[in-house]
Amino acid sequence: MASVMQRGQDEPFDVVSTYHRLLSEDPELTMPVGAIEALILGLANTPASTVSETLDLVSKLTAQLKRSIPNPISLSAGTDLFQQYLISNLQRPSAKGDFDQIRSHLVQNGRLFVERAKAARETIAGFGRHFIRDGNTVLTNGGSRVVGSLLRSAAESSNGNGRGSIRFRVIYVVSPSSGSVEESESTANIAALRERDIPVATIPPTAIAYCMDQVTQCFVGAEGVVENGGIVSRLGTLQMATLAKAAGKPFYVVSESHKFVRLYPLGQQDLGIEQNIVDFRTAKGSESGTERREVKDEGVADMEVETGSSKATGVASKPEDAVDYTPPHLISGIITESGVLLPSAVSEELIKIWF
Amino acid sequence: MPSQTTTPYDIVASYRRLLSEDPDLTQPVAAIESLILGLANTPATTVSETLDLVSTLTAQLKAGIPNSISLSAGTDLFQQYLITNLQRPSARGDFDQIRSHLVQNGRLFVERAKAARADIAGYGRHFIRDGNTVLTNGGSRVVGALLRNAAESGNGRGRGTIRFRVIYVGSPSGCGKSASDNETAANIAALRERDIPVAEIPPTAIAYCMDTVTSCFVGAEGVVENGGIVSRLGTYQMAVLAKAAGKPFYVVSESHKFVRLYPLGQRDLGIDQRVVEFKTGKGVVVESARGQTDGEGGDSLVVGESKVDYTPPSFINGIITEVGVLLPSAVSEELIKIWF
Repeated sequence: MASVMQRGQDEPFDVVSTYHRLLSEDPELTMPVGAIEALILGLANTPASTVSETLDLVSKLTAQLKRSIPNPISLSAGTDLFQQYLISNLQRPSAKGDFDQIRSHLVQNGRLFVERAKAARETIAGFGRHFIRDGNTVLTNGGSRVVGSLLRSAAESSNGNGRGSIRFRVIYVVSPSSGSVEESESTANIAALRERDIPVATIPPTAIAYCMDQVTQCFVGAEGVVENGGIVSRLGTLQMATLAKAAGKPFYVVSESHKFVRLYPLGQQDLGIEQNIVDFRTAKGSESGTERREVKDEGVADMEVETGSSKATGVASKPEDAVDYTPPHLISGIITESGVLLPSAVSEELIKIWF
Repeated sequence: MPSQTTTPYDIVASYRRLLSEDPDLTQPVAAIESLILGLANTPATTVSETLDLVSTLTAQLKAGIPNSISLSAGTDLFQQYLITNLQRPSARGDFDQIRSHLVQNGRLFVERAKAARADIAGYGRHFIRDGNTVLTNGGSRVVGALLRNAAESGNGRGRGTIRFRVIYVGSPSGCGKSASDNETAANIAALRERDIPVAEIPPTAIAYCMDTVTSCFVGAEGVVENGGIVSRLGTYQMAVLAKAAGKPFYVVSESHKFVRLYPLGQRDLGIDQRVVEFKTGKGVVVESARGQTDGEGGDSLVVGESKVDYTPPSFINGIITEVGVLLPSAVSEELIKIWF
């Protein structure tokens, strides 16, 4: 906890529970934006009177947040963005004068950022709508709000009756085992589309290859877009991308630009999070215990340091929160609110945001 | 239908009973057994009456089971066998004698078919080497036997000398209670007993783990003329992902599952299964021009767990049968040998 700053407070500010509360209260909120809001609330509630104290507070809260969530990739996009924003603002020459004024100005701007992030979804739907034409069949993974709003926007486009002039069909891949938030999100999307006379079919994840020949293009959402243009998304997205490429169908990623992360993974195991998807077990128990022992026996000095830092989270992902990494050569385009980007353009965007 | 018996012989019920009673029985072999029982139970005195009876029973069976590809391999084989036997010159003489001889030979066939699994395991064992990671779809008894055999091979203590790992792909419905899921669970437990590490993954994680996999083994419901296979829904997907990652994909199947079918695509299998069914707020969108309405009756719809897909031969690296390991292009040769 941020105990150094507690002088005036009755209860310490709990950024993790604030973050979870914000996410559950507002279903439209994405993880990075939720993280930014939680940090803004943390700033507003905790008195800090110097620039370095503020920056220190923010980095402490960020570290707390990242430690408590098993998969911090998505929210780290938001926290890193906010930290960057703070640093650039607090180091401006006009930042002399009343610190409280600066702080409230920052908090206000932060709120403006959150509003803009929510509005981004509409802009994205506007761009993405042109990718869907008459007679197309769209394949999508369930659970992405951006994709849902894109499809709904395409369904309603340009007709006063509330029925769109684009006639397309949607195939939703639904994992039958989950009873989580994502499934109810998919169900809501599917019902909304069906109401607008868009035929929707739901298939199990084993039938993606089966139906790929009748699909025109695929749309998926992402938890994070990484530096090389690849994405980190729900487990099963890599599979859909590989199958789309094998069948020659375009594969589009739909994502807000605040989800761009400064991460460059070299493979599935290089994401910096601990998830036990492939867990080898014999009658004696899990094999992963013996593997770690073997690694230590190698005697290579820096390997120990690496395993130490990657296990820093200490919280393992649940199976339904598992994510995978889709490399950029499988992605045909990334639809964001600043336009439609090729995967190679993502690093340009990141430079624009960060420098 | 025969008029002398009190209750007419119900081949569909007999087929289903045979399948549920003997968990080691495959669909074609169960079809052959039920036909043999039908022959034994129904009196027929001439050759043409017998052949007619068999074709009537076969038609009944195919109409009663929604996914008739696998069992049609067995029925066609039996019909062919009958015809060759009944048309031999030595087939003059007491017809009853011939019939009982046929029934006996039929039973011999069933015994051989069950023993085939051990032969296949013997051939397939050489495909698994030290340090390999094997990926497999659940629910195939042949693959389970092959893996268990590899686990036990060559060592008197019941623990094999080949150290490999297995990744089992679970069925999409999560916890399954069907016979194939129990079979899978039994296989996994048997492998773990022999110190073979086994991991179970959901079907969404196949691409995720494909780079750690050395080879894939799957079973088949039927092997079609061009060397492709008809197998559980999800097999085609695994084959595409294996090919995309450059990993070998092997099919393990008895030779009595070879079917005289030549599908041109997923929807050319001759069965009615609605995998992709579009619905709007007003109800199901019916695709009338599709040819899916070729299915005979409304109740011959394949549902739920028994859906199948077709994997073309270009994705298959080898078919391991009890007559050896075949390339997909050799399947039509085998079919000719069986049929002519």
